[in-house]
Amino acid sequence: MARHASRTRGVTALTLSEIGSRVAGAAESGRALRIAGRGSWLEAGAPVAAGETLSLAAYSGIVDYVPGDLTITVRAGTPLGEIAAATAEHGQWLPLDPPGSPDGSIGATVATGSYGPLASAFGRPRDQVLGLEAVTGTGEVITVGSRVVKNVAGFDLTRLLVGSWGTLGVITQITLRLRARSDVERTAAVAVPARGPKLAAALATVRNARLAPLALELLSPEVAEGVGLRGGTVLLARLGGNDESVNAQLAELASLGESITASDGCWERLRALDAEMTATLRFSTPLTDLPILWDALADVSVGDHLILRHATVMRGIVRCLVRTPAGAAPPAPDSLAAVARPLESARLIPERLGAMWSRLAPSSVNDPISRRVKEAFDPANVLNPGILGAAQ
Amino acid sequence: MSLNAEPARPPGGDYTLDAGLARTLAEIVGEKHVLSRQSQLLVYNSDGLPGYRRQPSLAVFPGTRDEVIEVVRALHAVGAPFVPRGAGTGLSGGALADGIVLLGLNRLKQIISIDVENRTATVEPGVVNLHLNRALGPKGLLYAPDPSSQAACTIGGNVAENAGGPHCLKYGVTLNHILAVTVVLPNGSVVTLGDEVGDHAGYDLVGAFVGSEGCFGVAIEITVRLTRAPEAVRTMLADFLTIDGGARATSAIVASGMVPAALEFLDGPTTRVVESSIYAAGYPTDAEAILLVELDGLVDGIDVDVERVKRICMDAGARNVRVARDDAERLKLWQGRKKAFGAMGRLAPHLVVQDAVIPRTKIPEILAAIHGISQKYGVLVCNIFHAGDGNLHPNIPYNADDAEQSERVHQAMREIMGVCIAAGGTITGEHGVGLDKIGYMEKIFTPNSLAAMCRLREVFDPERRINPGKVVPLHSCREWHATPAGRGE
Ligand SMILES: Cc1cc2nc3c(=O)[nH]c(=O)nc-3n(C[C@H](O)[C@H](O)[C@H](O)COP(=O)(O)OP(=O)(O)OC[C@H]3O[C@@H](n4cnc5c(N)ncnc54)[C@H](O)[C@@H]3O)c2cc1C
Repeated sequence: MARHASRTRGVTALTLSEIGSRVAGAAESGRALRIAGRGSWLEAGAPVAAGETLSLAAYSGIVDYVPGDLTITVRAGTPLGEIAAATAEHGQWLPLDPPGSPDGSIGATVATGSYGPLASAFGRPRDQVLGLEAVTGTGEVITVGSRVVKNVAGFDLTRLLVGSWGTLGVITQITLRLRARSDVERTAAVAVPARGPKLAAALATVRNARLAPLALELLSPEVAEGVGLRGGTVLLARLGGNDESVNAQLAELASLGESITASDGCWERLRALDAEMTATLRFSTPLTDLPILWDALADVSVGDHLILRHATVMRGIVRCLVRTPAGAAPPAPDSLAAVARPLESARLIPERLGAMWSRLAPSSVNDPISRRVKEAFDPANVLNPGILGAAQ
Repeated sequence: MSLNAEPARPPGGDYTLDAGLARTLAEIVGEKHVLSRQSQLLVYNSDGLPGYRRQPSLAVFPGTRDEVIEVVRALHAVGAPFVPRGAGTGLSGGALADGIVLLGLNRLKQIISIDVENRTATVEPGVVNLHLNRALGPKGLLYAPDPSSQAACTIGGNVAENAGGPHCLKYGVTLNHILAVTVVLPNGSVVTLGDEVGDHAGYDLVGAFVGSEGCFGVAIEITVRLTRAPEAVRTMLADFLTIDGGARATSAIVASGMVPAALEFLDGPTTRVVESSIYAAGYPTDAEAILLVELDGLVDGIDVDVERVKRICMDAGARNVRVARDDAERLKLWQGRKKAFGAMGRLAPHLVVQDAVIPRTKIPEILAAIHGISQKYGVLVCNIFHAGDGNLHPNIPYNADDAEQSERVHQAMREIMGVCIAAGGTITGEHGVGLDKIGYMEKIFTPNSLAAMCRLREVFDPERRINPGKVVPLHSCREWHATPAGRGE
C-alpha cells in the first residue's frame, strides 16, 4: 500500500506550549488543575479538588495516519468518532469501545484506561497505545514510546501514563496501533441460564468452545433489554473472519443456547447505556469466579435502585450499572457498600461513584511506590488531585 | 551495536567490594553457589553481544525466593551494586556486571502453579521459556511470547526485556501477557506489582516494570496469562526474486484483515547461509526474499485464508508458495528461521545481531539503503526479521579480533541505525538498550524524556545500585530533588 499520510485540521485553538505553561504556572502557584477531555465523563473518578479546569477539547485532530503502517497519531482532544471515521475509509479501526459515545475523546479514554467488550480480543488501552506525548506536573513536555508497532527503547513511561487518570501528566498526543477489519463481521446472541451452577457450566463451555470472538459479553436481562434484545440473560457475540469461519462460529454459538436475533447496533447501545446511570463500577475476577460474582451482584439490593450487569466473559470483567428511578435521589453511600464488596476475589475498579468514591473504594495510589511515582511526576500535586483517592 | 568499539577492560572494575561479602553470601546460599575466582567468573563475561566483555568480581546464585531476598538485603547492607542475570542471552549487554556482583537467577526454575481454567501460570524467574511451554502443551495451552532464544532464555529475562518473538504479531509481546510480578527492590523490600486477577485500580506498575532491563528490581515470581493452543496451524513459504516483492506481499497481507500468527522475512544472503548449514530447511537459494507466513486459529475457514495469502503473494510477484503438508515439514520450515543466527554464527567468529523497528511501509526503501551500506563498507548483511511488525534484524558475521574489519562493521551498523531512526523508527524492538544502544538514546528521546525515565528508575532504585550504567545515559539523569518524605518507604 502506498505511503499516504492523511491529516485532519482538527481544532487547535490551544498549543502545546500553552498547555505546558498552564501546568507550569499551576505548579508554581500550587493551584490545582482539573484535566478534562471533551467533558462527557467528568463525574468519573473520586471528586477532584481543583479551582481551574484545563480542557483538551480544543487540542484535537489527526496528526499522522499512514494506513499501510496501521498506526495513527492523534491529539488528545480528538473524538473517538473522528478516528473511527478516518480509519473506516481504509477498512481499518481502532478496536476500543469504552462506555460512553463516539463523542468521547481519545485522550480521556487513554488517561482513564477505559475499554469495552472489544477488550476481549484486542486488550485494553495499555495494549494499544504505542507512544505518547505528555506534559508532566512540572510543565515539562515528554515524548515516550514510539510511533512504530514494537519498541522497547527506554523505561516504559507510556504504560505508566496510560490509566493514570491525568495524575502524572496531561496526555497531549497519542500514537495507537490500528487493525484491519475482517472480511465478514456478524453479531449474534443466545439465551443462557440466568445464574447459579447452570450459568457457570454454560460459561465454562463457552470459554472452551470453538469460538474466536472479537467480543463476547454476558448481559443481565435489563441490559439485554436496554440494547434491544429479548430473552432474559443473554450472551452477545461479535464474530469476525472469513465467511466459513464466521458461519462455523455462528453454528457453535447456536449450539450453546436458544438463538436471539441481534444486530451490530447492540454494541453502540450497550456503550450508550452508561448515560442513564447514576453510578458505575467495574470488577476484575478470575474467570472461574465470574459466575459467582455475577450472582452475588444480582443478590444485592439497593432500595429502589436497579443494578444492571454486563460481563466480558473472556477477560473476567464484570460491570455494574446503577439505575435510579426517575425522580428518586441517588443511592446513599451505605446502600452501595454491598455492591462495592461483593466477593473476596473480585477487584473493584471504581468508575463513577461520585461522592461515594472515597467511602467505597480505598485509595488505589497509597502504596509506597505509587506515592513516589506521583512525587516524581507531579511533585506539586496539581494534576487531578485526589481522583484516584488520596495518597496519605 | 555500540557507537564505539569496546576495548576489553581488565576485570575488577572500579568498585571495591566489601571483603566479607562473599562469606556473608555463602552463608545464605551455600559455599558452592558463590563464585569469586576469575577463572570461574569468565563464563559470565558476555551476553552474546560481540566485543563486550565485562566480568563480575563476585557471582551469587540463590536457590529459593527467600534466598534471593536475603542476598539482596545483604548487598543493600554494604551498598554493593549488582546485576540480575537470567540465561545471559540478552544480546544488548544488559546482563553484564563490570567488576560488581552478578546475581544469577537460573536456579529458580520452579513452575509454581498452572491454573488451566483461569488460564494463568505462576513461575519463578529462572524458568526457561520453552520449559514452561512444554509443561503447558499437554494441557492445550501455551505462553505466547516466543523469542527465537526460547530454548535458553528465562521468563525473568523475558519480563526484564519485554521480549517478543515471531508469533507476537498476532499474540502480542511479553507486556501483553504479564499479570503480576513480585519484585525485590534493591533496598531489600518485596512488592507485588499488578494483580494476578488481571485489571486493577491504580497505576500500571507492572507495565512500567516489564522492559525495565533489570534496573528496577529483581523479579522473583511472575504470573503470566496463558493462551489456548490453536486448533489448526498452516505454515507457508513464499519466495520472491526481488526484495520489493516480499515487502509488497507483507503489506498486502497485513492490510487484508487477516492476522497471521507470524510473518517472517529472510533475505537472499540469509537464506543462502541457512541452506549451506546443517539447519538447511529447503529454502530456494536463488530467491532474494522469503516469507514465512503462519496462520492459526479455528480449523473452519483457515484454508480459505491460506488460499488468500497464496493469491496475495502471487500477485505481489512470488515465484512459488508452498504450504507445509504436515508437522514435520512445518517444523523444518521454522527450523531454518529459528536457527538462522546459529547458521550465521558459523560464517565468522562473531555475529552482530542488530534490532531496530521501522514503519512497515518503509521496509523496501530501508532494505535498499541497508544493501547500499553493506556494499559501501564491504560487509555481509543478513536480514532476517519480523516483517509483520517492521522489526528488522540486520546481522553481520565478522571477526571482532580484526580491528580494521570491526571498524567497518561498526560504521555500517551506525549508518543502518541512522537510516532506521530517520525513517521514524526506533532503536530496539525486542533486545533492549542495555549497554549497546545507550549511545542512541539521545537520538530518539529529548533530554526531558530521558530525565523522566531516570525519575521513574529512581522510584524503584534511588541509589541506582541495580544494573548501574544501563539504558539511560548517566548525564541525562539530572538532579531530581524530591523531599525525603517523597522517597521514603
Ligand atoms: C539467538 C538469539 C535469538 C534471540 N531472539 C529473540 C527474539 O526473537 N525476541 C526477543 O525479544 N529477544 C530475542 N533474543 C534476546 C534475548 O534472548 C531475550 O531478551 C531474553 O528475554 C533474555 O532472557 P535471559 O534470561 O537470557 O536474560 P539475560 O540476558 O540474562 O538478562 C537480560 C536482562 O534482564 C535482566 N534480568 C534477567 N533476569 C531478571 C530478573 N529475574 N529480574 C530482573 N531483571 C532480570 C538482566 O539484568 C538483563 O538486563 C535473542 C537472543 C539470542 C541469543
